[in-house]
Amino acid sequence: MSASMSSHANAEPNLTPMLDMVFQLVTFFMLVINFKGAQLDLSLKLPVLGSARPLDTEGHDELFVLNIDSQGKLKVYGIEKDMKAYIAGEARVTIAKMTFDNPKFKKGDELPTMVVIRADRVTPFKLLDDVIKTCQEHGFRRFSLKAMTKVEGP
Amino acid sequence: MRRRRRLGEVELNLAAMLDMAFQLLTFFILTFRPAPIEGQLSLNLPPPVPITNVQPEQAVDSGNGGGFSTNSLVLTIRANGDGDVTSVGLGPGRAFVGPANAYNLHELDRLLRGLFGIQHTPYDQVLIRVAPDLRYEELMKIIDVCARQKLPDGTRLQKISFSELPEPGAKQ
Repeated sequence: MSASMSSHANAEPNLTPMLDMVFQLVTFFMLVINFKGAQLDLSLKLPVLGSARPLDTEGHDELFVLNIDSQGKLKVYGIEKDMKAYIAGEARVTIAKMTFDNPKFKKGDELPTMVVIRADRVTPFKLLDDVIKTCQEHGFRRFSLKAMTKVEGP
Repeated sequence: MRRRRRLGEVELNLAAMLDMAFQLLTFFILTFRPAPIEGQLSLNLPPPVPITNVQPEQAVDSGNGGGFSTNSLVLTIRANGDGDVTSVGLGPGRAFVGPANAYNLHELDRLLRGLFGIQHTPYDQVLIRVAPDLRYEELMKIIDVCARQKLPDGTRLQKISFSELPEPGAKQ
Protein backbone atom coordinates (compact mmCIF):
# COMPACT_ATOMS: atom_id res chain seq x y z
CA MET A 1 0.00 0.00 0.00
CA SER A 2 2.67 2.42 1.03
CA ALA A 3 4.80 1.46 -1.97
CA SER A 4 1.90 2.12 -4.29
CA MET A 5 1.19 5.52 -2.77
CA SER A 6 4.80 6.63 -2.94
CA SER A 7 5.07 5.69 -6.63
CA HIS A 8 1.91 7.73 -7.28
CA ALA A 9 3.37 10.73 -5.56
CA ASN A 10 6.56 10.52 -7.58
CA ALA A 11 4.89 10.25 -10.98
CA GLU A 12 6.02 13.25 -13.00
CA PRO A 13 5.21 13.26 -16.69
CA ASN A 14 7.89 14.63 -18.95
CA LEU A 15 6.36 17.85 -20.19
CA THR A 16 9.19 18.79 -22.51
CA PRO A 17 7.89 17.07 -25.68
CA MET A 18 4.43 18.46 -25.09
CA LEU A 19 5.86 21.94 -24.63
CA ASP A 20 7.87 21.52 -27.82
CA MET A 21 4.78 20.55 -29.75
CA VAL A 22 2.70 23.39 -28.32
CA PHE A 23 5.40 25.92 -29.19
CA GLN A 24 5.52 24.58 -32.71
CA LEU A 25 1.77 25.02 -33.01
CA VAL A 26 1.98 28.53 -31.57
CA THR A 27 4.73 29.38 -34.05
CA PHE A 28 2.61 28.06 -36.91
CA PHE A 29 -0.41 30.13 -35.95
CA MET A 30 1.74 33.21 -35.38
CA LEU A 31 3.16 32.89 -38.88
CA VAL A 32 -0.13 32.36 -40.65
CA ILE A 33 -2.14 34.95 -38.76
CA ASN A 34 -3.12 37.83 -40.99
CA PHE A 35 -4.35 40.95 -39.25
CA LYS A 36 -5.03 42.63 -42.60
CA GLY A 37 -7.76 40.06 -43.15
CA ALA A 38 -9.86 41.94 -40.62
CA GLN A 39 -10.46 44.69 -43.14
CA LEU A 40 -12.22 42.25 -45.46
CA ASP A 41 -15.95 42.02 -45.01
CA LEU A 42 -16.45 38.28 -45.33
CA SER A 43 -20.23 38.60 -45.37
CA LEU A 44 -20.05 39.93 -48.93
CA LYS A 45 -20.76 37.51 -51.73
CA LEU A 46 -18.23 38.36 -54.39
CA PRO A 47 -18.85 37.54 -58.03
CA VAL A 48 -17.21 34.39 -59.33
CA LEU A 49 -14.70 34.79 -62.12
CA GLY A 50 -12.53 31.90 -63.16
CA SER A 51 -9.92 34.09 -64.79
CA ALA A 52 -9.39 36.32 -61.74
CA ARG A 53 -5.80 36.16 -60.52
CA PRO A 54 -4.31 36.73 -57.07
CA LEU A 55 -3.53 40.35 -56.36
CA ASP A 56 -0.16 41.46 -57.67
CA THR A 57 0.75 44.82 -56.16
CA GLU A 58 3.78 45.15 -58.45
CA GLY A 59 5.85 46.51 -55.60
CA HIS A 60 3.18 48.92 -54.43
CA ASP A 61 2.02 47.77 -51.07
CA GLU A 62 -0.49 50.50 -50.44
CA LEU A 63 -3.95 49.10 -50.85
CA PHE A 64 -7.15 50.92 -50.10
CA VAL A 65 -9.84 48.31 -49.53
CA LEU A 66 -13.48 49.28 -50.00
CA ASN A 67 -16.17 46.80 -48.99
CA ILE A 68 -19.43 47.72 -50.68
CA ASP A 69 -22.57 45.81 -49.85
CA SER A 70 -25.60 45.22 -52.05
CA GLN A 71 -27.12 48.54 -50.91
CA GLY A 72 -24.00 50.45 -51.91
CA LYS A 73 -22.98 51.05 -48.30
CA LEU A 74 -19.32 51.21 -47.44
CA LYS A 75 -18.13 49.17 -44.47
CA VAL A 76 -14.73 49.55 -42.86
CA TYR A 77 -13.81 46.95 -40.23
CA GLY A 78 -17.51 46.14 -40.00
CA ILE A 79 -18.55 49.74 -39.34
CA GLU A 80 -20.63 51.63 -41.86
CA LYS A 81 -18.96 54.82 -43.05
CA ASP A 82 -19.91 57.78 -45.13
CA MET A 83 -18.40 56.81 -48.47
CA LYS A 84 -17.49 60.24 -49.81
CA ALA A 85 -16.00 61.49 -46.55
CA TYR A 86 -14.01 58.31 -46.03
CA ILE A 87 -12.50 58.33 -49.53
CA ALA A 88 -11.74 62.06 -49.25
CA GLY A 89 -10.01 61.47 -45.91
CA GLU A 90 -7.94 58.63 -47.29
CA ALA A 91 -6.97 60.74 -50.31
CA ARG A 92 -5.92 63.61 -48.03
CA VAL A 93 -3.65 61.33 -46.05
CA THR A 94 -2.12 59.85 -49.20
CA ILE A 95 -1.58 63.30 -50.74
CA ALA A 96 0.07 64.55 -47.54
CA LYS A 97 2.38 61.54 -47.54
CA MET A 98 3.20 61.93 -51.24
CA THR A 99 3.88 65.65 -50.81
CA PHE A 100 6.22 64.88 -47.93
CA ASP A 101 8.08 62.21 -49.92
CA ASN A 102 8.14 64.09 -53.20
CA PRO A 103 7.95 67.91 -53.08
CA LYS A 104 7.10 68.02 -56.81
CA PHE A 105 3.90 66.10 -56.18
CA LYS A 106 0.85 68.30 -56.43
CA LYS A 107 -2.82 67.85 -55.78
CA GLY A 108 -4.56 66.27 -58.74
CA ASP A 109 -1.63 64.03 -59.68
CA GLU A 110 -2.26 60.32 -59.87
CA LEU A 111 -2.07 58.62 -56.49
CA PRO A 112 -0.02 55.41 -56.30
CA THR A 113 -2.48 53.67 -54.01
CA MET A 114 -4.45 50.81 -55.52
CA VAL A 115 -8.14 50.89 -54.71
CA VAL A 116 -9.37 47.36 -54.02
CA ILE A 117 -13.11 47.14 -54.59
CA ARG A 118 -14.88 44.25 -52.91
CA ALA A 119 -18.48 44.62 -53.93
CA ASP A 120 -21.37 42.26 -53.46
CA ARG A 121 -22.34 40.44 -56.63
CA VAL A 122 -25.82 41.97 -56.71
CA THR A 123 -24.72 45.58 -56.20
CA PRO A 124 -26.26 47.69 -58.98
CA PHE A 125 -23.80 49.48 -61.21
CA LYS A 126 -25.15 52.94 -60.36
CA LEU A 127 -24.04 52.50 -56.73
CA LEU A 128 -20.68 51.12 -57.72
CA ASP A 129 -20.14 53.85 -60.27
CA ASP A 130 -20.66 56.42 -57.55
CA VAL A 131 -17.80 54.89 -55.56
CA ILE A 132 -15.49 54.66 -58.58
CA LYS A 133 -16.19 58.24 -59.62
CA THR A 134 -15.55 59.51 -56.10
CA CYS A 135 -12.22 57.71 -56.07
CA GLN A 136 -11.30 59.12 -59.46
CA GLU A 137 -12.21 62.65 -58.41
CA HIS A 138 -9.67 62.34 -55.60
CA GLY A 139 -6.87 61.12 -57.83
CA PHE A 140 -7.10 57.35 -57.54
CA ARG A 141 -6.52 55.70 -60.90
CA ARG A 142 -5.44 52.16 -60.17
CA PHE A 143 -8.26 49.81 -59.31
CA SER A 144 -8.54 46.18 -58.51
CA LEU A 145 -11.94 44.51 -58.72
CA LYS A 146 -12.14 41.50 -56.44
CA ALA A 147 -13.83 38.25 -57.35
CA MET A 148 -13.83 34.68 -56.15
CA THR A 149 -11.90 32.29 -58.36
CA LYS A 150 -14.38 29.47 -57.73
CA VAL A 151 -17.78 28.94 -56.22
CA GLU A 152 -17.65 28.37 -52.48
CA GLY A 153 -20.32 27.15 -50.14
CA PRO A 154 -23.88 26.25 -51.06
CA MET B 1 30.53 15.77 -5.66
CA ARG B 2 27.34 16.20 -3.68
CA ARG B 3 27.07 19.79 -4.91
CA ARG B 4 27.49 18.69 -8.53
CA ARG B 5 24.72 16.10 -8.19
CA ARG B 6 22.43 18.68 -6.70
CA LEU B 7 23.08 21.00 -9.65
CA GLY B 8 22.33 18.19 -12.05
CA GLU B 9 19.02 17.56 -10.41
CA VAL B 10 17.73 21.08 -10.97
CA GLU B 11 14.46 20.82 -12.86
CA LEU B 12 12.54 23.70 -14.29
CA ASN B 13 8.88 23.76 -13.58
CA LEU B 14 7.54 23.45 -17.10
CA ALA B 15 3.91 23.38 -16.05
CA ALA B 16 3.65 27.17 -15.86
CA MET B 17 5.27 27.61 -19.27
CA LEU B 18 3.00 24.95 -20.70
CA ASP B 19 -0.03 26.75 -19.29
CA MET B 20 1.04 29.95 -20.96
CA ALA B 21 1.79 28.19 -24.24
CA PHE B 22 -1.63 26.57 -24.20
CA GLN B 23 -3.24 29.94 -23.59
CA LEU B 24 -1.40 31.39 -26.55
CA LEU B 25 -2.35 28.40 -28.64
CA THR B 26 -6.00 28.76 -27.67
CA PHE B 27 -5.93 32.44 -28.62
CA PHE B 28 -4.45 31.74 -32.03
CA ILE B 29 -6.84 28.86 -32.73
CA LEU B 30 -9.87 30.95 -31.80
CA THR B 31 -8.78 33.97 -33.84
CA PHE B 32 -7.60 31.95 -36.82
CA ARG B 33 -9.71 32.64 -39.84
CA PRO B 34 -8.23 31.62 -43.14
CA ALA B 35 -8.61 34.32 -45.78
CA PRO B 36 -10.83 33.33 -48.70
CA ILE B 37 -9.12 32.67 -52.00
CA GLU B 38 -9.85 35.82 -53.92
CA GLY B 39 -8.71 36.85 -57.34
CA GLN B 40 -8.86 40.25 -58.92
CA LEU B 41 -8.91 42.15 -62.16
CA SER B 42 -6.50 45.07 -62.30
CA LEU B 43 -7.75 48.06 -64.19
CA ASN B 44 -6.40 51.45 -64.96
CA LEU B 45 -9.43 53.68 -64.90
CA PRO B 46 -8.81 57.02 -66.58
CA PRO B 47 -10.22 60.15 -64.96
CA PRO B 48 -13.89 60.86 -65.54
CA VAL B 49 -14.76 63.02 -68.51
CA PRO B 50 -18.03 64.79 -69.14
CA ILE B 51 -20.14 62.79 -71.54
CA THR B 52 -23.13 64.47 -73.07
CA ASN B 53 -25.46 63.49 -75.85
CA VAL B 54 -23.54 60.38 -76.71
CA GLN B 55 -25.12 58.24 -79.36
CA PRO B 56 -24.44 54.54 -79.51
CA GLU B 57 -23.19 55.03 -83.04
CA GLN B 58 -20.28 57.04 -81.71
CA ALA B 59 -17.84 54.20 -81.45
CA VAL B 60 -14.91 56.54 -81.78
CA ASP B 61 -14.91 60.17 -80.96
CA SER B 62 -13.86 62.57 -83.65
CA GLY B 63 -11.82 64.58 -81.17
CA ASN B 64 -14.23 67.49 -81.02
CA GLY B 65 -14.62 67.45 -77.28
CA GLY B 66 -17.45 65.00 -77.03
CA GLY B 67 -15.80 63.29 -74.11
CA PHE B 68 -14.27 60.17 -75.65
CA SER B 69 -10.66 59.90 -76.48
CA THR B 70 -9.95 59.14 -80.11
CA ASN B 71 -8.99 55.56 -79.34
CA SER B 72 -11.88 54.35 -77.21
CA LEU B 73 -13.96 51.44 -78.29
CA VAL B 74 -17.48 51.81 -76.91
CA LEU B 75 -19.37 48.89 -75.45
CA THR B 76 -22.96 49.45 -74.42
CA ILE B 77 -24.50 47.07 -71.91
CA ARG B 78 -28.24 47.09 -71.43
CA ALA B 79 -30.00 45.31 -68.61
CA ASN B 80 -33.46 44.28 -67.51
CA GLY B 81 -35.09 45.10 -64.19
CA ASP B 82 -33.39 42.16 -62.48
CA GLY B 83 -29.98 43.50 -63.40
CA ASP B 84 -29.25 40.83 -66.01
CA VAL B 85 -27.66 41.65 -69.34
CA THR B 86 -30.14 41.87 -72.19
CA SER B 87 -27.81 43.06 -74.94
CA VAL B 88 -24.29 44.28 -75.55
CA GLY B 89 -23.57 46.81 -78.24
CA LEU B 90 -20.18 47.06 -79.82
CA GLY B 91 -19.58 50.41 -81.41
CA PRO B 92 -22.34 51.08 -83.91
CA GLY B 93 -23.46 47.45 -84.02
CA ARG B 94 -24.42 44.73 -81.59
CA ALA B 95 -22.19 42.07 -80.14
CA PHE B 96 -25.10 39.97 -78.93
CA VAL B 97 -28.67 40.13 -77.76
CA GLY B 98 -29.57 38.00 -74.77
CA PRO B 99 -28.01 37.01 -71.46
CA ALA B 100 -24.30 37.04 -70.74
CA ASN B 101 -23.93 33.29 -71.04
CA ALA B 102 -20.87 31.39 -72.17
CA TYR B 103 -21.90 31.36 -75.83
CA ASN B 104 -22.59 35.09 -76.03
CA LEU B 105 -19.46 35.97 -74.09
CA HIS B 106 -17.43 33.83 -76.46
CA GLU B 107 -18.97 35.70 -79.34
CA LEU B 108 -18.06 39.03 -77.73
CA ASP B 109 -14.53 37.76 -77.15
CA ARG B 110 -14.24 36.77 -80.80
CA LEU B 111 -15.39 40.21 -81.97
CA LEU B 112 -13.03 42.02 -79.62
CA ARG B 113 -10.12 39.85 -80.69
CA GLY B 114 -10.87 40.82 -84.24
CA LEU B 115 -10.73 44.51 -83.33
CA PHE B 116 -7.73 44.49 -81.00
CA GLY B 117 -5.74 41.80 -82.75
CA ILE B 118 -5.09 43.71 -85.94
CA GLN B 119 -1.71 45.35 -86.26
CA HIS B 120 -2.83 48.97 -86.58
CA THR B 121 -5.88 48.89 -84.38
CA PRO B 122 -7.06 52.40 -83.55
CA TYR B 123 -8.14 51.34 -80.08
CA ASP B 124 -6.17 51.09 -76.91
CA GLN B 125 -8.98 51.45 -74.40
CA VAL B 126 -12.59 50.53 -73.89
CA LEU B 127 -15.41 52.70 -72.67
CA ILE B 128 -18.21 50.64 -71.22
CA ARG B 129 -21.58 52.34 -71.06
CA VAL B 130 -23.58 50.48 -68.46
CA ALA B 131 -27.25 50.37 -67.57
CA PRO B 132 -27.64 51.68 -64.01
CA ASP B 133 -29.38 48.56 -62.74
CA LEU B 134 -26.87 46.08 -64.08
CA ARG B 135 -25.59 43.78 -61.33
CA TYR B 136 -21.89 43.87 -60.53
CA GLU B 137 -21.64 40.14 -61.21
CA GLU B 138 -22.90 40.60 -64.76
CA LEU B 139 -20.64 43.59 -65.34
CA MET B 140 -17.62 41.59 -64.22
CA LYS B 141 -18.28 39.01 -66.92
CA ILE B 142 -18.03 41.69 -69.60
CA ILE B 143 -15.00 43.32 -67.96
CA ASP B 144 -13.36 39.92 -67.84
CA VAL B 145 -13.75 39.49 -71.60
CA CYS B 146 -12.33 42.99 -72.17
CA ALA B 147 -9.42 42.46 -69.79
CA ARG B 148 -8.45 39.30 -71.67
CA GLN B 149 -7.80 41.23 -74.89
CA LYS B 150 -4.26 41.83 -75.92
CA LEU B 151 -3.03 44.90 -77.71
CA PRO B 152 -0.76 44.53 -80.75
CA ASP B 153 2.30 45.17 -78.55
CA GLY B 154 1.42 42.09 -76.51
CA THR B 155 0.26 43.92 -73.38
CA ARG B 156 -3.12 43.26 -71.91
CA LEU B 157 -5.86 45.81 -72.26
CA GLN B 158 -6.10 47.53 -68.90
CA LYS B 159 -7.54 50.93 -69.73
CA ILE B 160 -11.24 50.57 -69.20
CA SER B 161 -13.59 53.35 -68.25
CA PHE B 162 -17.23 53.34 -67.33
CA SER B 163 -20.13 55.62 -67.85
CA GLU B 164 -23.71 55.21 -66.78
CA LEU B 165 -26.45 55.00 -69.35
CA PRO B 166 -29.42 57.23 -68.59
CA GLU B 167 -32.26 55.55 -66.74
CA PRO B 168 -34.95 54.21 -69.07
CA GLY B 169 -37.51 56.96 -69.52
CA ALA B 170 -35.23 59.65 -68.15
CA LYS B 171 -34.98 62.90 -70.04
CA GLN B 172 -31.86 63.05 -72.22
